[in-house]
Amino acid sequence: MAERDMARHLVDAVIADSPDHKRGTRPAHTIGIGVKGHFRASPVARDWCVAEHFCGREVEASVRFSNSSGSPVQHDGWSDARGMATRFHLSGGGATDLLAMTLREFFSATPEDFLAFAQAAIPRPVEPPRPWRKIADMLRLFPPLPDPYPGQRTSSVGGSMAYSGLHSASQLAAFDASFLGAPVSYARATYNAVHTFIVTAPDGTERYVRFFWQPAAGVEMVNPDLPPIDNYLQAELRDRIANWPVEFLLLMTVGEMGDPLTDPTKAWPLHRMRINMGTLCLTEVPDDQQAHCEQLAFNPGRLTDGIAMSDDPVLIARKAAYELSRELRGGAACPFDAV
Amino acid sequence: MSVRRRMNQLVPRRASLNDLVNSMSKSRLFGWLAGHVLVPYWARKTPVHKQPGGARATVQPGDNVQRMMNLILPLKDKTAVGRAKAAMAIASNLDEIYAGLDNVGTVHFARFVIIENNMCMISCYDGDFSNYIRDFVAQLGTVFDSVIALIEDGEAMIPTRDNIDTFINWVHDRDVYQIPDTATELLHYGTIGQPAVKSGEVADLRLIARALILQLHANPNALLGSGYRGYPGISAARIRDKMGFGW
Ligand code: HEM
Repeated sequence: MAERDMARHLVDAVIADSPDHKRGTRPAHTIGIGVKGHFRASPVARDWCVAEHFCGREVEASVRFSNSSGSPVQHDGWSDARGMATRFHLSGGGATDLLAMTLREFFSATPEDFLAFAQAAIPRPVEPPRPWRKIADMLRLFPPLPDPYPGQRTSSVGGSMAYSGLHSASQLAAFDASFLGAPVSYARATYNAVHTFIVTAPDGTERYVRFFWQPAAGVEMVNPDLPPIDNYLQAELRDRIANWPVEFLLLMTVGEMGDPLTDPTKAWPLHRMRINMGTLCLTEVPDDQQAHCEQLAFNPGRLTDGIAMSDDPVLIARKAAYELSRELRGGAACPFDAV
Repeated sequence: MSVRRRMNQLVPRRASLNDLVNSMSKSRLFGWLAGHVLVPYWARKTPVHKQPGGARATVQPGDNVQRMMNLILPLKDKTAVGRAKAAMAIASNLDEIYAGLDNVGTVHFARFVIIENNMCMISCYDGDFSNYIRDFVAQLGTVFDSVIALIEDGEAMIPTRDNIDTFINWVHDRDVYQIPDTATELLHYGTIGQPAVKSGEVADLRLIARALILQLHANPNALLGSGYRGYPGISAARIRDKMGFGW
């Protein structure tokens, strides 16, 4: 399928997963907050990657934290993936983006599979599971299906679970998604860029790597037994940044022969070599959230010399899909766009 | 009074029945039922066997350094006297142990821990398991013999130097089973030769919970995943070299 046609199908599929999607907004990760700060590479980062932001000079950074849902209704306290999209501002007005989320792996290994997954995950009405069903589950030593959140009428969980039952590639993400929970703060979660990228070292060596952000404040989730609060993450972040900078460590895991290099549904072993590439320090929540959040448009394909995409077909397809999504919602194009 | 009204009084409404069932799943009664009746029932219906212990065989370099060994060796004498004898077997052989570990050269750390009448040998080593034990016996055979003499079913192995292959298997059998890092492996490969879901079958992901319970029923001691490493992917030799320890 031509790139542009696939992009259209992907964006349509994402929109279909949020029936209350509002035109002119992001069809996924709709609710978010933009913050500003800077990134300082670690002393060893330049030995691993020649990209400008890893070469020592501090660079400005724009970050948008988000809830992954495409719905305009905010449910901070619901268990779901959170996003952290980072733009590193480079010299001459250039930029490179890194999109990450709290899930370690993705649901589909190809864009075609994603279309089928998204179709299965279209939200359907939910009701509390019948008590007898829960008892039957308990007798089978299965965790009983959870009750919907108060006021929740539809859910995509049943559909995505049923799909994963038939498609083993989706199982890890679906299983991990059921444990995500809600972070107490956007600054207290680990965010994974999921896909494999290829970084070039000064001696020309190319390495397959995966990036993730680790919060300096540590990871903490809200107590799932308490009633969920719909709106707290943005205020918490404003308060936090007003008092103290928020820091994240950028870690780079180096893959090995035999690791799944082009498959985002498969996590790499936790004991692969990981390199500290630098520290992101977030210092300001700009007042103009229209310009610094809503208008921004990130793209996982916006890379710079020294970092390239792997042959991961989902990563490759996302590049055109995000660009199309930006156009559809009238987001700002990056002036010196490498995309 | 109408039958319906009487039923309403007798049968709690859906919401409260739901609450009751929710609290039931966390109750001590259900905990007891699950542990003593449901687990044995499902273990009989869908048997899971004891799994081989230790880090799994792999060809990837990063998996072959800093491998975890967690030996659990039940003491014959389960009194404080037995435990003290075990402690003395280590304490009186410290020189042998330190020299041996240095000479083996692939060990990041090793320790002996007494936990509930078990002598536990816990270590982190590079390379192949059988070679590790083989080197160990070559270096520390007599210390091993004095420890093994205190362990259930250990005597037949002494002297370990003359029973090396049997001894390696014996140790391997007592190295705890490592639960995979990736939970979904429990559905497909975690139970070697006994997948919880056969290929092509629809998987209810909640089956992972039961697969885990049954694994822990068959393997009461378990290493949960491959474990944290502060400097992953690096061998002991490389650390000594880089740190300039002159090894
Ligand atoms: C086929 C796979 C995927 C599709 C089709 C897709 C689609 C989209 C779309 C259409 C948007 C809105 C973009 C915009 O209008 O600016 C979006 C946002 C986002 N996606 Fe994805 N996505 C996919 C996979 C992923 C993966 C694997 C990750 C995590 C690494 C991810 C993380 C994000 C984040 C963090 C945002 C919010 C960006 C922002 O704050 O502006 N997505 N996605």
